[in-house]
Amino acid sequence: MTSTAQDLHPAPVLEPSRTILELRGLEKKYPGTHALKPVNLAFKSGEIHAIVGENGAGKSTLIKLLTGVMPRTSGEVIWEGKPAALATPHEAMALGINAVHQEVVLCRHLTVAANMFLGEENSRFGILQQRAMVKDAQKIIDGLGFDLPAHVVLGDLTIGQQQLIAAARATVRGTKFLIFDEPTAYLTRKEADQLFTLIRRLKSEGVTIIYISHRMEEVFELADRVSVLRDGTLVGTRNISETNDAELVKLMINRSIEQIYHKEHFTPGAAIIEARNLSGKGFENVSMTVRAGEIVGLYGLIGAGRSEFVTTLYGRHRKSAGQILWKGKDVQINSEHDAIRLGMALAPESRRDQGLCLNLPVGLNLNLPIYKRISNNLLISGAQEKTQADRQIADLRIKTPTRNALASSLSGGNQQKIVIGKWLAHGAKLFIFDEPTVGVDVGTKAEIYRLFSALLSKGAGIILISSYLPEVYELADTLHVFRRGKLVATHGFRTADHEDILTQALAEKQEKLGGKI
Amino acid sequence: MSTEAIPAEKPKRNYNALFGLTLLALLVLLWIILSLATSSFASANNISNLLRQGSMIAILAVGQTFVIITGGIDLSVGAVVGFATVIAAMLINAGIPVFLAILLTLLVGVAIGLFHGFGIVKMGLPPFIITLATLTSLRGIGLLMTNGNSISINNDAFQEFSRNSFFGIPNLFWMVLLVGIPAYVFLHHSRWGRYLFSVGSNAEASRLSGVNVQRTIFMAYTLSGLCAAFVGVLLASRIGIGNPTQAEGWELQAIASSVIGGTSLFGAVGSVHGPLLGAFILATINNGANLLNVNAFWQRVITGVLIIVIVYFDGLRRRGGK
Repeated sequence: MTSTAQDLHPAPVLEPSRTILELRGLEKKYPGTHALKPVNLAFKSGEIHAIVGENGAGKSTLIKLLTGVMPRTSGEVIWEGKPAALATPHEAMALGINAVHQEVVLCRHLTVAANMFLGEENSRFGILQQRAMVKDAQKIIDGLGFDLPAHVVLGDLTIGQQQLIAAARATVRGTKFLIFDEPTAYLTRKEADQLFTLIRRLKSEGVTIIYISHRMEEVFELADRVSVLRDGTLVGTRNISETNDAELVKLMINRSIEQIYHKEHFTPGAAIIEARNLSGKGFENVSMTVRAGEIVGLYGLIGAGRSEFVTTLYGRHRKSAGQILWKGKDVQINSEHDAIRLGMALAPESRRDQGLCLNLPVGLNLNLPIYKRISNNLLISGAQEKTQADRQIADLRIKTPTRNALASSLSGGNQQKIVIGKWLAHGAKLFIFDEPTVGVDVGTKAEIYRLFSALLSKGAGIILISSYLPEVYELADTLHVFRRGKLVATHGFRTADHEDILTQALAEKQEKLGGKI
Repeated sequence: MSTEAIPAEKPKRNYNALFGLTLLALLVLLWIILSLATSSFASANNISNLLRQGSMIAILAVGQTFVIITGGIDLSVGAVVGFATVIAAMLINAGIPVFLAILLTLLVGVAIGLFHGFGIVKMGLPPFIITLATLTSLRGIGLLMTNGNSISINNDAFQEFSRNSFFGIPNLFWMVLLVGIPAYVFLHHSRWGRYLFSVGSNAEASRLSGVNVQRTIFMAYTLSGLCAAFVGVLLASRIGIGNPTQAEGWELQAIASSVIGGTSLFGAVGSVHGPLLGAFILATINNGANLLNVNAFWQRVITGVLIIVIVYFDGLRRRGGK
């Protein structure tokens, strides 16, 4: 069975059917925050119900309540007509409620088969029936149409493939209600298609799917209904056929797009960096120029080679061919050190893995790139360390009690401000922002965009990488589209429309998406 | 989303100082109890003895702490101490001036540390493995060099150093200050100290921020090797022999001191005063147990229990803040 076979025969939409799970005034309070205000919502059996909302809107809280990870503050959950306590994850699973999380929570060192049957191993007289389990697992995987071996170690698969295994695992346990939490965040388009096939198939078997995603196109591609959360409140539920992108965005953020995307135009100055036919691991033959006062946007799907391209510019990886010119001069950048010395700054994609020292103070994180400057040959100037950190905290409005609070204690948006803020005092000429607003609330987004303008006004250039098209579309003076490691198209500010850009980024999927977006 | 919901926490910066004070209070409490419980504890002789006992482990623990802050471990320090006694003894007996002999011995420690850095950074070996390999092979090399015998050091001035006092305080304890004060300045007031923490917290983020991660790791192991070689010199002076099997198990005492002193084995948390206090707490417990005629075997058990209790409460406090 291939994915296209499924796509041609989408499962018929079921009759408006009985309610499988109903929330009555479901509410969650944390100390100091009201994460979920009383929610009333009924999920029908066999529907794909998308839930959208900004970060911090209450989606994760809702999942945690439904899967028994956390107790609710008040309200009722009615499962198949009877109240359910959902006090433990075990109870939720026994009812048939399962979740596939964004990050794979499986054992990387065990085989695919061992993971599939983890906790429900097939054994005889206490001896594991390993061969039988591999066989069974393979049968399930084949049945789902995934072309993956069951006997290999899970860690040998790509993250996307692991995600598919996690989804497959959830399906074999008598699941009636399956929650997907941003499952496609790390998937390639092909893997996402396989996952969608699986989701449609589960739906046709009567399983209720809750699909949480930031990506509007996926919501419109998959869902029957969509509910929008904002600041812990359920602001609306729509049939997918009766709504559109703009309405959902408006519901989600309660303000128009223009208010968020703060954009000032500056006259581009001299070229800061130029890549000529640059190739490296994950991308080939890319040429582009970034000039002072301009934002160059790189759009494409995850895995399209954008991050690899900028990390190569930044000296993290070696280029295999091509030339880099810095202010018109040919340069060799062999390490991050070289790049920083030239005047580059990189705010990486994953703030937890690459951007922050989480268990260290905010002040140390902010000062990390400039310790050389604020110390003499031997000692750090304590006074300068304080004033530098405090100035960044004030300028960026980082919400932290003091510079000595640990970075881990801050919210995602404020953490992101640190990742960006630590380069401001450093005074770089070229700023590279890789997905700067992932997991950041709307208010912080707007602040970050204002910051971009401030940097441009000082004559810096910016490379902005984003998988979120509206962001690069509204901000970039020059927009480059990447697909599979190649630069496939270039546009000026708002000169192309969304459909064209999406099509260029996806290419082979154009007929399918063209009709829907 | 819960990350958005958690209100920013109260400052925890004073945590280190507070924890240090708690340790100091524990140490003082132990001293008071032992003074009351035994007649001999508070004697000048015993206190000097206690300071001598604790000093060498304390210096080892400082070097060890640098390594642990980067998220590594140095299992070799005990073996380096033993090996350094041999080197020092051989050099001094060969007629090389004591000053030069000490310097050369320290250089051997630096070389061992550089080797560890090379193994970790360039060969990609886990710190546990490369330092474990050094632990066993250094003892072997030492035994080969000495044919399994001890080398008596024929230099009285060298040996007297460790027995003498200065202003009534044993020279060995002065050596703790000699190492501890620069170490404190280095760790808490220089950028290299900051880099040790940042590498231990998140090596990738540090690299992307322009920190030379490889050099930082080299530096941590080199300093640990240097401290260990220095302790080797002090030990050679104290016992008057070079013997590669000396300082058996000191690496564990150094790690224990460091951990009792608040260093996190996961990296990025630690200080200089903590391990120093930790080392003297351990020394006091051993000393007190001797005076109280507690079976020496029980001392090891007590040390183990103490590690569990202190680290458990430390962990509780850290979690409790959230």
